[in-house]
Amino acid sequence: MDNIAGTKSSLSWAVNISVVLLVVLWLIPTVGLLVSSFRDRDQISATGWWLSPFPVSENYQVKAPADDATADGGVNTITGNVFGEGSGKVSRFGGKRAAPTEFKAGETAQLTRDRTLTVQSDGSYIYTSPEEITRDPSIYFAAASPPDFSLDNYRTIMASDNMDRAFINTLTVTIPATIIPILIAAFAAYALAWMDFKGRGFLIALVVGLLVVPLQLALVPLLTLHNKVGIGQSFLGIWMAHTGFGLPLAIYLLRNYMVGLPRDIIESAKVDGATDFQVFTKIVLPLSFPALASFAIFQFLWTWNDLLVAKVFLPSNSESWVMTVKIADDLLGSKGGDWGILAAAAFISIAVPLIVFFTMQRYLVRGLLAGSVK
Amino acid sequence: MKSTLYTSAAIVALSSAAAFADGHLAFGMEGGDFTWDSYNAYADATDLSGQTVTITGPWTGNEKEKVEKILAYFNEATGATASYSGSDSFEQDIVVSARSGSAPNLAVFPQPGLAADMASQGLLTPLPDGTAEWVRDNFAAGQSWVDLGTYANADGADELYGMFYRVDVKSLVWYSPEAFDESGYDIPETMEDLKALTDQIVEDGGTPWCIGLGSGAATGWPATDWVEDMMLRTNSPEDYDAWVANELKFDDPKVIAAIEEFGAFARNDDYVDGGAAAVASTDFRDSPGGLFEIPPKCYMHRQASFIPAFFPEGTEMGQDVDFFYFPAYESKDLGKPVLGAGTLFAITNPSDAANAFIDFLKLPIAHEMWMAQGGFLTPHAGVNTDAYESESLKAQGDILLNATTFRFDASDLMPGEIGAGAFWTGMVDYVTGADAAEVAKGIQDRWDAIQ
Repeated sequence: MDNIAGTKSSLSWAVNISVVLLVVLWLIPTVGLLVSSFRDRDQISATGWWLSPFPVSENYQVKAPADDATADGGVNTITGNVFGEGSGKVSRFGGKRAAPTEFKAGETAQLTRDRTLTVQSDGSYIYTSPEEITRDPSIYFAAASPPDFSLDNYRTIMASDNMDRAFINTLTVTIPATIIPILIAAFAAYALAWMDFKGRGFLIALVVGLLVVPLQLALVPLLTLHNKVGIGQSFLGIWMAHTGFGLPLAIYLLRNYMVGLPRDIIESAKVDGATDFQVFTKIVLPLSFPALASFAIFQFLWTWNDLLVAKVFLPSNSESWVMTVKIADDLLGSKGGDWGILAAAAFISIAVPLIVFFTMQRYLVRGLLAGSVK
Repeated sequence: MKSTLYTSAAIVALSSAAAFADGHLAFGMEGGDFTWDSYNAYADATDLSGQTVTITGPWTGNEKEKVEKILAYFNEATGATASYSGSDSFEQDIVVSARSGSAPNLAVFPQPGLAADMASQGLLTPLPDGTAEWVRDNFAAGQSWVDLGTYANADGADELYGMFYRVDVKSLVWYSPEAFDESGYDIPETMEDLKALTDQIVEDGGTPWCIGLGSGAATGWPATDWVEDMMLRTNSPEDYDAWVANELKFDDPKVIAAIEEFGAFARNDDYVDGGAAAVASTDFRDSPGGLFEIPPKCYMHRQASFIPAFFPEGTEMGQDVDFFYFPAYESKDLGKPVLGAGTLFAITNPSDAANAFIDFLKLPIAHEMWMAQGGFLTPHAGVNTDAYESESLKAQGDILLNATTFRFDASDLMPGEIGAGAFWTGMVDYVTGADAAEVAKGIQDRWDAIQ
């Protein structure tokens, strides 16, 4: 009786556990990115993000100032504290870079040329040398350092010039580039789904065929065309480019959804004397809302995250930068060395798509299934 | 403790930022180590009021800020508005914009090979008449810089398209003077000494080298520099030129020997930090970090003069890190070859203002102002070398000027498919265990296929 609808399957715990596992697995990269966004470049390259919450024993180097040396009976001595004004606990120390933890705190180390070094666990040290000390000698020691997180990466991004401008530019690109294809695709999808005309099947096949054409192929010819008709590199140009690149998927998705609407409703409307336009606006469009919303999410996310199309179809001056270009070409530093910035920038730029996603996600599943189940 | 270290680093960073944040003309209008006379003469003679000059290039981040400080002086002198935009994917962007007719006035090419490709497609405009003579007379080893900037146009005739601005010396080995001092190592003067030192470090329980080839889509390029340096140290400059032109085939025993010379360092588990297996997967930006670890993960790192940009924050040149010339074999009479690379300005969309900008680049001050900001070497013989930001840069400049043989990065000169493709991936295959002869043959086959 286990398989009767409404009763709980005995395997549901297995399902639940695998779902939890999958979710955790999928979240690992995001968590790693989040943790990395609070660390600076040097920390990121020093240790993995999974080690960052724990205090680690790190090796440090300080220089004993030679100017503070006092000569007493042929022995030159420098005293001080490795922590300067601060405090800490030295576990081991050494006088050579190659062996920074040779001696235990409190021991006296015999260094080369009869020099000695003693470091106590509170950090105070005594360095002696029979000769005059001319160069600042280095003291190496190991001490535990607490986990260290900062908001510097976020500050750098938020405070950088033209960041607000880039944000507004991204919205300027994204919103029309989401709405225009939906407007066009909804009409086209209705025609391909419910209007009988010659060559309809061929047109549908053509749209499906266009889905597999990589947009990179069209970049140079399309920009040449834009330059010839006088649009050039501008917001109008990028709206048209995004519209063109988004249309095949939009038409395909909406057409498949619309074709699955009950034939009876549409036919009875037509019997009652409704024109195609009235059927479209009064019946099909409201019923297709889940599909429209799910395509809107797709298109919004894609245009929001887009770097390539923005680089090609927008002018390259900093006033026209969208956020992705700003991050890649300005914030990442020369040759892309600032890892921390990348992680933080990802979280800042993800904020708006997340809001869009969570407000509209209940339509997404319904729309994704558009036309696939009857 | 740590916070005090960070605070002091922050103070250093702040004070250096404050030094530059001095109005929009960062160096004033007189004084300093700058050559003002020719600048003032240029300013009096040139009036481009209302015109604009657009420039794109591969410099982003703080390098972009440095360029913009120099452009401010161009704008001040001419009344024109020059604007620079840098792109992380410049090599792709410039091809798209030039082909579709929306190219900027000037482009800064990091690789002569790409500029030559574009010139042969008619996408570049030759530099104004007389530029070749000027470069020949005013750059150290002028003729070689003219040759490097001269490409065949769409009809096959040679013309000067590129003006070099900003050069990198590649034959440098970075090390920590302190680590060398404490362990009693001397700077090697010859390749034999360098190899002996390498063995010595292994004997002492250390790891001599940090090598990282990772660079995203360009993974493998640091190895091409190694091989080129080895080519220059085992073969004559003529052989090197023949290799670049593919007259000496890639699978020639001489080239294979050079690849194996590199392999002697990179494929020895004892010689490289992390073992040979880590070489291909370590990012080149992270690999010098091993010099600064306590205890050091490695003692030496062979990389071009731009690498200090990737040293940890607060690293002091000369104290925490220094460099020596990647030495040549004493037993081979090949002098002191130096490998270098550089960026060049080319005109992608001609205008009077673009020509005037090329004239601006001839002024010593256009070079001195970047020299003063660091990370810049120039072959311009008329500059005041006191303008270099640090002694270290000046010393690199001297290596450039004292070279008995200077050769340009071969992979930058080879056709893009080889120099920025097959050569890179071939080197990754090689360090991960493939046979040198097979790798070389694979690259030569690709070269044959595109000819």
